[in-house]
Amino acid sequence: MRPRPSFRAAAVLAVAALALTACAGSSDEPAATPTSSGPPEPVEIRFSWWGSDTRHELTQQVLDKFTEKYPHITVVPDYTDWNSYFDKLGTAVAGGDAPDVITQEERFLNEYASRGVLADLNELGLDTSKIDEGVLQSGTIDDALYGVATGVNAYAIVADPTAFEAAGVELPDDKTWTWDDYVEIADQISAATGKAVYGAQDYGFNEPGFSIYARQRGESLYTEDGKLGYDDKTIAEWWQHSLDLQEGGGQPDAATTVEVDAGGPELSLVATGKGAMAWFWTNQLTAITNASGKELKLLRVPGESEEDRTGMYFKPAMFYSVSAKSEHPEESALLIDFLLNDPIAGEIILSDRGLPANTDVRAAVEDKFSATDKQAAEFLAGLEGEIVDGPAVPPVGAGQVAEITRRINQEVLFGRMTPADAAKQYRLEVESAIGS
Amino acid sequence: MSVVTELRRTARSARGEKGTPSRRSLRNGDGKAAALFLLPWFLGLGLITIGPMVASGYLSFTDYDLLQPPTWIGLENYTRLFEDPRLANSLRVTFTYVFTAVPLQLAAALGLALMLDRGLKGLPFYRSVLYLPSLLGGSVAVAILWRQVFGIDGLVNQFLALFGIQGKGWVSDPETALWTLVLLHIWTFGAPMIIFLAGLRQIPEMYYEAAAIDGAGAVRRFRSITLPLLTPIIFFNLVLQVIGAFQSFTQAFVVSGGTGGPADSTMFYTLYLYQKGFTAFDMGYASAMAWLLVLIVAAMTLINFFASKFWVFYDD
Repeated sequence: MRPRPSFRAAAVLAVAALALTACAGSSDEPAATPTSSGPPEPVEIRFSWWGSDTRHELTQQVLDKFTEKYPHITVVPDYTDWNSYFDKLGTAVAGGDAPDVITQEERFLNEYASRGVLADLNELGLDTSKIDEGVLQSGTIDDALYGVATGVNAYAIVADPTAFEAAGVELPDDKTWTWDDYVEIADQISAATGKAVYGAQDYGFNEPGFSIYARQRGESLYTEDGKLGYDDKTIAEWWQHSLDLQEGGGQPDAATTVEVDAGGPELSLVATGKGAMAWFWTNQLTAITNASGKELKLLRVPGESEEDRTGMYFKPAMFYSVSAKSEHPEESALLIDFLLNDPIAGEIILSDRGLPANTDVRAAVEDKFSATDKQAAEFLAGLEGEIVDGPAVPPVGAGQVAEITRRINQEVLFGRMTPADAAKQYRLEVESAIGS
Repeated sequence: MSVVTELRRTARSARGEKGTPSRRSLRNGDGKAAALFLLPWFLGLGLITIGPMVASGYLSFTDYDLLQPPTWIGLENYTRLFEDPRLANSLRVTFTYVFTAVPLQLAAALGLALMLDRGLKGLPFYRSVLYLPSLLGGSVAVAILWRQVFGIDGLVNQFLALFGIQGKGWVSDPETALWTLVLLHIWTFGAPMIIFLAGLRQIPEMYYEAAAIDGAGAVRRFRSITLPLLTPIIFFNLVLQVIGAFQSFTQAFVVSGGTGGPADSTMFYTLYLYQKGFTAFDMGYASAMAWLLVLIVAAMTLINFFASKFWVFYDD
């Protein structure tokens, strides 16, 4: 089952809309949740999510508050890091042991929804009145609401100004810097610090980075009808920059890169004070800042004014979904309602799952934002005028592309494939995954 | 399976027993009691082994994404097996692993068994200590530890740094990642070591006395007495370890973080099968892969048994 174009277009609008509704909304309390008469029976539901330790702690605090409000519902947390999340979820779903409330991601939502794993949240009566229509559209497929976006973020560069300072290199003007600047600056930092601090961490493991690169050139990773929309030369170039960085010392050797990549955001080079720049989602800024203990800065990715157009875009950070097989769908919907609509949850989560999707909640908690949350919010607001459009929603099968990207990137970094060969191999494998 | 009975026979002849089970007539009650005692085993065999095997046999002829009912596609999954370069790579990785890890592990096990067999004081203690890695080696905790030990800032590199050698990320380099897994496998030499020890104890002392009188040295005694008389035990260990090594999964899964990486260098066959089934939702293909593995393991075992005619010596 292929997603319909209307869904894609809607999703693109959705994200833009969410970003644009920055400070709208009143401070009304969200509607009280209807409760059934009589003492409710105790139920247990499971809630799965991925993320860093910071997120696990935050989420546990939210769940404690939820249990205070609904003493009869016990929420069993089920969390892991990003790298193993979808392996674990796939296994659990196949075994008939899906969590009741599932955190989903753009690349997988379509896949799970089209296979009947997810429930229609509209049918469960989830209160979505304070959530922007566009945002809701991003989780709507064939008129059913399979996931509610938790918030928006953008793929950007997290930079460590103290590392720049230590190396005697100036922070770039991120509106005008080019890919060559990026490579050069990274090389300079590594050289100046004797590789005690690397200029950059490898970016090639994650295809959203390539999506931006392609969009800057008027191409795209996926087209609206679920095919590949770039030239092989483009992705080869993208990898070539990474090889140049490796050669010039701007980024570590391939083995170090692989090890750092496996460690996740909190063990990234920037987070451990061993790197000056890395590509991350804006909602990861808090976790990385906490790990590094330094003030970090968000930069636009290089090349935004170099080619045809800008490539950066807003993305729904993640989605909350309910398993179609849940034994307690109402209670599961209550949990999502609490996570999305209750300011108590909003105050704890802040922008960890992207800028809050509920505009009331966002307005209510904005002044509670930590310095990093504010930084991310301001950064996103600053992008609004520059972002042209959103990329097409990833087709069914896009979930496998994460693994393909990481693996072929390693083949390139270790010199086992030339960028040109890697581009061919990548097209072959991705096309087979998305069935085009 | 004939493999099992064959192994039992081998083990028995290794112990020097004669294969003559006593026959006595069954009384009525015995039959029922026997059936009762056998029932749990048959239930287990049916529900846990044969049932899933039949199911996977059926699924291997279907397109099955786990969530929707399977649809029959005939032999397509099997023909795809021969066109999949990543499958070929996973076979290469697995065979490299089996052909290096198993012989090296058996050599380590035999060497240690020989050392322990010298009538050491406190043998039970040493035996237990040396067996310990086998209990730990298959665990997730040790696999995680392995990642740390062979990491860039790991123990191995810290040790090398003492000699001024700059180490690398052993686990995260495709050239060396597989060898850290081979090392981990060698380290779990405990089980074959215990079997070797038992085998060494079975060799009659009189052979050694006779050889010593004839003036044979230690090396000669090992080559002409110990080794030939131990061949059934070596064979037994070899068959078991080869079958086990083909099915290795946990270590590669944990050490590579479930990816079989870097760059597929630790992509064991079973890991690829798992990824196909549970990450790519291609359970039909994964089932076909499972049956190919059964064929490969059966073929390797047959080859082993055939080859054993030329080197295994039964002192019957």
